[in-house]
Amino acid sequence: MNPRNPFPHAPSIGRRQFLRGALAALALPPLETWSAASAPTGARNFVAVGTFLGWHQNAFFPKQTGAGYAMPETLSPLEPHRDAFTVFSGLDHRAANGHAAWSNYLSGVTPNSYSLDQRIADELGQNSRFPSIELTAGSGELPHPMSFTRRGVGLPMIQRPSVLYRRLFVSKSDMARTDYLLRSGRSGLDLLKDDAKRLQAAVSNRDKDRLEEYFESFRAVEKRMERQLNALHEPLPETEYQLPTYDPITPNLQIEAETILYHLMALALETESTRVLTLQLDGLGQVFSLDGRTLGAGYHGLSHHGNDPRMIRDLVTIETAHIHCFAGFLQALKEKKSVRGKTLLEETVVLLGTGTGDASRHSNANLPTLVAGGGFQHGRHIAIDPRQPDAPLLGDLYVTLMQRLGMEVDKFSNASRNLNQIFS
Amino acid sequence: MNRPFCSAWAGLAFVSLGALEAADTQPVPEPIRGMLARHCLDCHDASEKKGDVNLDHETVDWADPAQRDVWIRAFDAVERGLMPPPKKPQPSDSERGAALAYWEQALLKHVKIGGSAPRRLNQREYLSTVRSLFEWPGFVLPVGFPGDGESHGFDTVSDGLPISPAHFEAYRSVALEIADELFPPKKQGAQSQRWEAGPRDMVLSFSAASVWEDALRLVSKSATAFRSCTWPSRIEVKDSGVYRITVDASQFNTPAGRPFSVPMLLEVRARDLTASDRTNVNTFRLLKTIEVRSDAPEHTVFEAELYEGQTVLFRWANAEMNHDAPELADVYRRWFEEDKRFLAAWQKAIFPTGTLRPELTRLRGLNGWEVVRKHWENPGLDLSQATMEAEPTQKILELANSLSGTTSFADALCHFYHERGPAMEVHRLSLEGPLRPAESPRDSLRAKLRQHWVGERQAGESMEAAVNGILRRVLPRAFRRPVSAETIRDYQGLVERHLEAGHSFEEAMHLLVRNVLVSPRFLYHGVEEGSEHLLANRLAYFLTQSPPDERLSGLAAEGRLLKRGELQKEAVRLMPKSHHAAFVQSFVGQWLDTQRLATIMPDPRFKFEDDKIATARKETEMFFTEMLVRNLPMTDFIDPDFTFSTPEFLRAVYGIQAPTGGGSRPDKAMTRIPMERGGRFGGLLGQSAILMATANGVDTQPVIRGVWVLENILGTPPPPPPKNVPALTPDTRGSKSPRELLAAHTKDAACAVCHQRIDPLGLALENYDPVGHWREQWPGAGLAIDPGCVLPDGTVIRGPVDLKAWLVAHIDQFSQCVAEKLLTYGTGRPLNFAEKREVRDLVKRNHEAGNGFRDLLLALVESETFRTP
Repeated sequence: MNPRNPFPHAPSIGRRQFLRGALAALALPPLETWSAASAPTGARNFVAVGTFLGWHQNAFFPKQTGAGYAMPETLSPLEPHRDAFTVFSGLDHRAANGHAAWSNYLSGVTPNSYSLDQRIADELGQNSRFPSIELTAGSGELPHPMSFTRRGVGLPMIQRPSVLYRRLFVSKSDMARTDYLLRSGRSGLDLLKDDAKRLQAAVSNRDKDRLEEYFESFRAVEKRMERQLNALHEPLPETEYQLPTYDPITPNLQIEAETILYHLMALALETESTRVLTLQLDGLGQVFSLDGRTLGAGYHGLSHHGNDPRMIRDLVTIETAHIHCFAGFLQALKEKKSVRGKTLLEETVVLLGTGTGDASRHSNANLPTLVAGGGFQHGRHIAIDPRQPDAPLLGDLYVTLMQRLGMEVDKFSNASRNLNQIFS
Repeated sequence: MNRPFCSAWAGLAFVSLGALEAADTQPVPEPIRGMLARHCLDCHDASEKKGDVNLDHETVDWADPAQRDVWIRAFDAVERGLMPPPKKPQPSDSERGAALAYWEQALLKHVKIGGSAPRRLNQREYLSTVRSLFEWPGFVLPVGFPGDGESHGFDTVSDGLPISPAHFEAYRSVALEIADELFPPKKQGAQSQRWEAGPRDMVLSFSAASVWEDALRLVSKSATAFRSCTWPSRIEVKDSGVYRITVDASQFNTPAGRPFSVPMLLEVRARDLTASDRTNVNTFRLLKTIEVRSDAPEHTVFEAELYEGQTVLFRWANAEMNHDAPELADVYRRWFEEDKRFLAAWQKAIFPTGTLRPELTRLRGLNGWEVVRKHWENPGLDLSQATMEAEPTQKILELANSLSGTTSFADALCHFYHERGPAMEVHRLSLEGPLRPAESPRDSLRAKLRQHWVGERQAGESMEAAVNGILRRVLPRAFRRPVSAETIRDYQGLVERHLEAGHSFEEAMHLLVRNVLVSPRFLYHGVEEGSEHLLANRLAYFLTQSPPDERLSGLAAEGRLLKRGELQKEAVRLMPKSHHAAFVQSFVGQWLDTQRLATIMPDPRFKFEDDKIATARKETEMFFTEMLVRNLPMTDFIDPDFTFSTPEFLRAVYGIQAPTGGGSRPDKAMTRIPMERGGRFGGLLGQSAILMATANGVDTQPVIRGVWVLENILGTPPPPPPKNVPALTPDTRGSKSPRELLAAHTKDAACAVCHQRIDPLGLALENYDPVGHWREQWPGAGLAIDPGCVLPDGTVIRGPVDLKAWLVAHIDQFSQCVAEKLLTYGTGRPLNFAEKREVRDLVKRNHEAGNGFRDLLLALVESETFRTP
């Protein structure tokens, strides 16, 4: 048994067979030990970006596989970062179709279940100021949650840049109030504890056990308050960054909101306020004016393009604008250095994708997916043929991403393999 | 039954010490041993041990719960006539009676009524308790508030309701949110501000608005905001107050457009910037209607109240264009009658292939209009079909009357108006203020909540006395029972220390609210000191899902609830009166699993949209309520002479014609429908909601329905399937019928034990598809459905009608099941042997007295099982 293999139960022969079956068509470097990607790599943060209305496949997937592909239209703003990301085609979760199943993106075959980011946050995020931060831009109606707790609760997302800013860079007056609430709250806890003890003394033995749960939760919360109080008096991150005087939350200001949120996301990673961030890009009726032109229909209408070339052109214009913002984010991560002397991009696994394969047909197959950063070997387009009987799933890629972050996992949703060899 | 309630408390100590009980080992009497040897031990001795049951013992330790469980299973099987199996030789009645009597007395010696553990409020109770405590019906839980586990089928059972740190965190943050509403932190004084917005600073949503040089045009009066309205993107008022609003607007007309002879009406409304864009415009508060008469910009200045988080919204209220059915078809009809070429262009755009199959995806927004316009301007346009009577014209008007007209091609028509008019033009908006403060509805609500908490302070009263008064009034309400002087003193200390530390009265009250809402006395059921109050709480949460009201608490305080009959009187008072009642929603949803309906997406081929799902659920809830309110006999649950439904639903789902009633939408009105007894539909087992809840929206699985009937109708759930067996999912599309596939179950003896009980019940319901339609054939294979089967007691049935008849003949078993469900829900514990025996006697007595459902429920409330902690 390979002593470095942290998963001694994993059948390595089966894995090789799977690789032969699924990737035979691709020119891949020789296989190394499959656990290579899980060796300490310095990748410590995770970011996931997802669009509600998908990415138009023809303008997202490169025409050629491997390295040196011609940059597709939607990804054109990423040309300067060509070596910093990998594009995947042919991956999905085999989930149901339709908008209702959109959240398969980070949840896997069962929409609205424990999402990738929350799994990572539960393991890596517990010592950060914020275990994870969920953001959204461009929503004009009820939110479409992208992150789900272990119990399948959809997490609320922050839409206002000002709210995120206040959380990250607490002002003096906010700090005083938080301090007051924590301290006064603690004084109340003493009373509660006494009262609960009296209560416990009055009930039978078995019922005492039941109340013991209360105390356990109580102590956990007390500890947490202690930590928060201590953290409050550690020097807080500061920034020169100036927000606009308004919150760009109407859907037509989506691109503006995205730009600001990416900026704050980079700052959140730089100040190590959190290690896990998600950004959901929503879309409904908003009509954008981009490149000096008002587009021919609302975002959602364009996604139902029915292969009309002019509607596709306008849809791709929006998606290219999203990627333009994303390229700015990668640029910021490249420029910023962590205290460990690495670039933030090396330390951050960035996933960009969607749960919608083709909005025009409401299909959730073949999800456009891109992975950047994380210290992986990048620069290629990996085309998976999903018709192969052993074709890998998007969840197999997620296993690789989690292992990259040092997590000892070998399963995600319906996937129980990995794509480590691609990055080796 | 007459035992005073307080002695039941003494009994509790006995129960909770059960684990430490001394052994009570008794020899099995000889006649019983003989009966077992003759009729049972062939299968149930130490070596055969069928169904994991070994009855071959010389002695039994009745104090050992594990040994008792085996004998309880034996007792149930023999009493119900399931054992020995019908085909085997049967013991004589006296042998059977002797064995049952012996087991019963031995079991009852050790199994005592009672034993609900304390538990936290579940999510629904927590919500209604907060609403009731603060008299705040609009309070909602934050997104992400942790939910509950289910145990024994209900979210009221202690095992499913542990408190985790995540719960505690959530309670704390809700407490803070509520404290902030009642006693908000001081805000900085409002500063007057001025905003300007031009056409380019406004929201363009779908085809509602377009920008032309210095103007923004509006063309539709649709009631849905995102189809007709615009609002500034970057204006959001921070302080509630009176604002000065300035609007420059004009008419836009061209000779090509139809002239507009009356003033155009521009509505200015207040919208929360974060409200959903799908909102109905009329729910946004109207600030002013401006009459716009001229083609040159007119300047209007007015003052209006805007509240924190709001901006203004514009709608042209008397536009000609309207996305909404049926007006949309009228708009098209008028243009088609006026302009043949226009009609022909739309025909070409909607039916590009020349057939009558519409292709709508390209017709959204400006892109869609450009498609139409190209045809319109084409000199060679085919006019041969351009009459109002032509089929394509009629089809377009029909589409315009449906949702696809509104969503897919009405937006293209908007651009026709954007180009040619008439349109409303907005040139400029400015907003200045607040000129003076104004009280928002939220401010008024806050004042009311605060007043309710603090109450009236007497003139000249000291702070100490005032705080004491508040605590004496508030704490017993929050904790739902009298509060000791010691507890009052503790909280008084907390408040006074805070005041002494220099904090304001508001801050001290803020702290009090935060603490009360995380106290175990607030969060837990069953930690009451005093049995009357426990009983008051139990009854109130059982029947209303809310804390006891004043009258009930009053009776408890006077000790009157313990008197015989009092509790029943209160139960009558609190009994739900409509299907909206929390008890009906919650109990029916969990007992019959109709709460699952929210997560089921029926396959499109069933044409079962959301409104049908809602009707199905309502049918079951109204049916249940009628059973209760009218005290109908238990047999009506199975085979009634009525149901509740809409004429439309009856036709589409049950294939029954019903006369339409009155009202504005008679076809969609829920009414009580009389029906013949003994038919396919009617009764729980023929109701769409239940047939849907026991399938997955796509196909039926007889095993799931069979298990469901055993669990929820007969009250005899099978043990969970062995872990090493893969699930047998019949593929109803294949050539094999589910019946043939299921036959595999009965071949293997290990499977057969349970599946000969499960499968017949599921197969008997196979005539109902996954949403409750009647069908004669299995889909795909085209095989005729044969619902006939043999029930475990040997009865041969030919389908669901026979199954219902069998249930009516064995109605006490169903009544026992419902009664156990009600008590589990109400007491928060699964019933033990002794409690089931008590229920059995009540069911029997109730049957003799007319078998009314309401009477049964009232008898249960008076039962020792319900009254014992």
